Amino acid sequence: MGKTWTLVKKEIFDILRDKKTLVIMVAVPILLYPAIIIGMVLVMNFMMQSREGESYTAAYGNEYRAEALRFQEVYEENQEELDIQLTFQEVPEAEKEAVKDSYDAWIHFMTDGQRVHIEVEYTSTDPNSSYAENALQELADMYCKELLSEKLDEKGLTEDFLYPVTYEAKDSVTVSESAGMSIGGSIGMMLVVTIMLGAFYPAIDVTTGEKERGTLETLLTLPVTNFQMIMSKYLAVSLFACITAVLSLLSLGGSVLFLLGSALAGASEEILHMEPAVFIGWIPILLLVVIVTALLVTAFSMCFCVFAKSFKEANNYITPVMLVVMFASMTAMIPSIQLDGRTALIPIVNVSLLIKQVLAQQMELTLAGVTIGINFCYSVLIIWVLAKMYNSENILFHDGFQSFRLFEKRSEIKKGTIPGTGDLLLSVVVLLLLILYLGTAVSVRSTFGGTLVNQFLILLVPLSVVWYMKSDVKSLFSLKIPSGKSALGGLLLYIGTFLFMLVVTAALTRILPESTQNVEQAFEEILNQPFILIVLVMTIMPAVGEEIFFRGFLFGGLRNRHGVFWGILLSSLIFGAFHMSIVKLLPTAMLGACFAYIGYRSGSIYIGMFLHFFNNLISMAVSKYPEQLGRFLSFLVKKELAGRDLIFMLVIGGLSGALGLILLKKERRDRNP
Amino acid sequence: MIEAINLSKQFERTVKQGRKSHKEEFLAVDQISLKAEPGEIVGILGPNGAGKTTLLRMLGMLMTPTSGQVRLMDREGNFIDDITQKKGLIGYLSGNTKLYPRFSIREYLLFLGDLYGYPKKEGIARTEEMIRVLAMEKFADNRIEKLSTGQVQRASIARCLMADPQIYILDEPTLGLDILSADAIIRFMEEQKEKGKTVLYSTHYLEEAQILCNRIYMIFQGRIVAEGTPLTIMEKTGTGSLRQAFHSIFEGVSQQGEGQGE
Repeated sequence: MGKTWTLVKKEIFDILRDKKTLVIMVAVPILLYPAIIIGMVLVMNFMMQSREGESYTAAYGNEYRAEALRFQEVYEENQEELDIQLTFQEVPEAEKEAVKDSYDAWIHFMTDGQRVHIEVEYTSTDPNSSYAENALQELADMYCKELLSEKLDEKGLTEDFLYPVTYEAKDSVTVSESAGMSIGGSIGMMLVVTIMLGAFYPAIDVTTGEKERGTLETLLTLPVTNFQMIMSKYLAVSLFACITAVLSLLSLGGSVLFLLGSALAGASEEILHMEPAVFIGWIPILLLVVIVTALLVTAFSMCFCVFAKSFKEANNYITPVMLVVMFASMTAMIPSIQLDGRTALIPIVNVSLLIKQVLAQQMELTLAGVTIGINFCYSVLIIWVLAKMYNSENILFHDGFQSFRLFEKRSEIKKGTIPGTGDLLLSVVVLLLLILYLGTAVSVRSTFGGTLVNQFLILLVPLSVVWYMKSDVKSLFSLKIPSGKSALGGLLLYIGTFLFMLVVTAALTRILPESTQNVEQAFEEILNQPFILIVLVMTIMPAVGEEIFFRGFLFGGLRNRHGVFWGILLSSLIFGAFHMSIVKLLPTAMLGACFAYIGYRSGSIYIGMFLHFFNNLISMAVSKYPEQLGRFLSFLVKKELAGRDLIFMLVIGGLSGALGLILLKKERRDRNP
Repeated sequence: MIEAINLSKQFERTVKQGRKSHKEEFLAVDQISLKAEPGEIVGILGPNGAGKTTLLRMLGMLMTPTSGQVRLMDREGNFIDDITQKKGLIGYLSGNTKLYPRFSIREYLLFLGDLYGYPKKEGIARTEEMIRVLAMEKFADNRIEKLSTGQVQRASIARCLMADPQIYILDEPTLGLDILSADAIIRFMEEQKEKGKTVLYSTHYLEEAQILCNRIYMIFQGRIVAEGTPLTIMEKTGTGSLRQAFHSIFEGVSQQGEGQGE
């Protein structure tokens, strides 16, 4: 701990000594934002003011003189209500073409005695002409009202005769709530972007910069572990990202308040109505969010920076990262997207959404907790990957792309290459993006079709990577016929896991009530299909595809680089996360870990495939035939589990799982004496 | 004492044949065993690409060997297992171990003192001692990026000395230095040897090695091709200087290599 702290101090000191960094991190937020915002408003004010009092000329023909004069009268009566001044000029119709261009607008009056028709010729691309037209339109409305009330007077009627119904809507939202809602969407994005700006430069400086300046080898001679090294760099950069973000927030908030204060000096009562207590309540939550976001964004950018050999290269890597993060943070601006059990799992997006919620004063504590917690978990995960990468001599002494074999030419890849950590992560991200875009696009038309596409993609991604890398599929995917003993062990372990899963799910649904309505609707469409088709798409295809991707490809690759423990942990967590639901995350991850362990011990993917198929079959059957199944296995269908059920499930599950583990452990010993 | 036992390091390289290229693995260091005792200077000689730097990096704990091990003994004669502790016993200096340009020498040494676990007062005392011993008083507070090559070299020596290590590993320390700076380095190595420290160093300057080294390992293509005192090596090859011995050994080895390759 002491050494890490010494290193952190050193990193901070080093970053602070660099003037460029200071300028970007301090001067930009403190000076530039207010300058831009205030400058923009001043320019706009100036433009508005310069328009005010400006005079425009409108010409009209001499044909319907009475209407024209009446129109001018209306103008003179209501002159104060219009922002600009108008001068009217009568031009004989014959001269019109010759002098047309010297007037801002040309008015034709026509009347059939009942109704006056006003036609205005103007040039929309000419601002003067356009302003004149606007004013004329306003004037025409007033003219209309004037004539109307004259006519009503003649008949002895009031306006109530014409408008027997009036309508008024009253918004229950307080001023502070609506202000929060309208700025909330964009504040999230600004925050994320400023954090990125704050993280970038130091992130490049402490990783690539150290390589470029040749101090990395010196650092390696010091008696510190690689983990301490990367951790100290990470902490220092996150700190700077936080500081930049807080400074930016303050200066942004300050300049916005300044503007509001000056613009609404007279009518600021309403603004003042936003109780200070509300603001103060936001601060700790916003700070926590800032810290968590800074941790995540820093980790993310450092992951890319460690690969770069030079500043230029680092910049190239980080630009697309910035675009992706910016895009993700912009989703909060879409009004229909709200923080819920699903969106809370998506990094960056959830931060933006949470800020929107906080500012609109609709924060749900559970979701806020999940958002902060999950971003923290992602950060830890990325840091772990980062530490692993930083350990690698290839990154420290060579080009750094060893864990990304996918970027090599296929002809240069050796036969039997196993995908590296980078390749695996890249595949996961690509698959996720494909599912999010392609899968979602199809499922808008048909949920069933979407599921089909997703299953296809899950199979396609690993197979193409494995083809490109010329991997030995048989050993990577563990394609081996299992022994009877390990199959039995696997089955028992699965039964144990399954019962535990039910208990965990029951517990989680109680803590995190998730709206299941959407899911049920989507499910209905699937359940309406013939049973045989459901079995194929919902049970057989996932069993094959997901097992090959998560247990074969992901676990196989990770195990090779990082050992069985990390392989199981990471592959099952990713498996859980792929199901896009907080409640499902943990149970699904448990199931994934169970299958991965079975695959590891038995050396065969087929047991997992079969059990996965069986697992999905049960859940399909429960959905399609709940009554019939409920008669035999009541605990599958019950919404609330009683204490007796729980004990029964835990005991049976524990026994079965333990027996399965023993059988599987023995299996390994028998095979490798 | 530092000892390498069957140390190997495997790398990958791209081989181009016309437009086609493929990757192949090769051993930069191939089963090297060597030993350096306290109170001696051991030289590692060999042409470029022989594997000297890789070997020294593994000995300095900067690189993990593909196979084999490095054994280190501390002051009390105990073998050390922990990599971080091992690093604490080694002073490693090469052309690539640059110092933080934005620090001053004094700041840098104080940072090292903290890191090597000196209590605050001792850290300061040690820093001042280093500045005095290496006569750096005049520029100790200037940023390192502003210093001359010779001054930086002295600062680098101070960096190595700071922890008072038992073993010095120096990778071509005199490369590209003027005569005065190179002499300072040579004096530094001799002093450490007299203090009973172990010094392991690689160089291209054979005359320097002939005078300085107690023992020499010559390596080529990752393997040791000759070892012994400068004198025994010259006797074995029947030559009058280390330079001639070097030529005769490497001519023999490369002809042999080509013969095997046919």
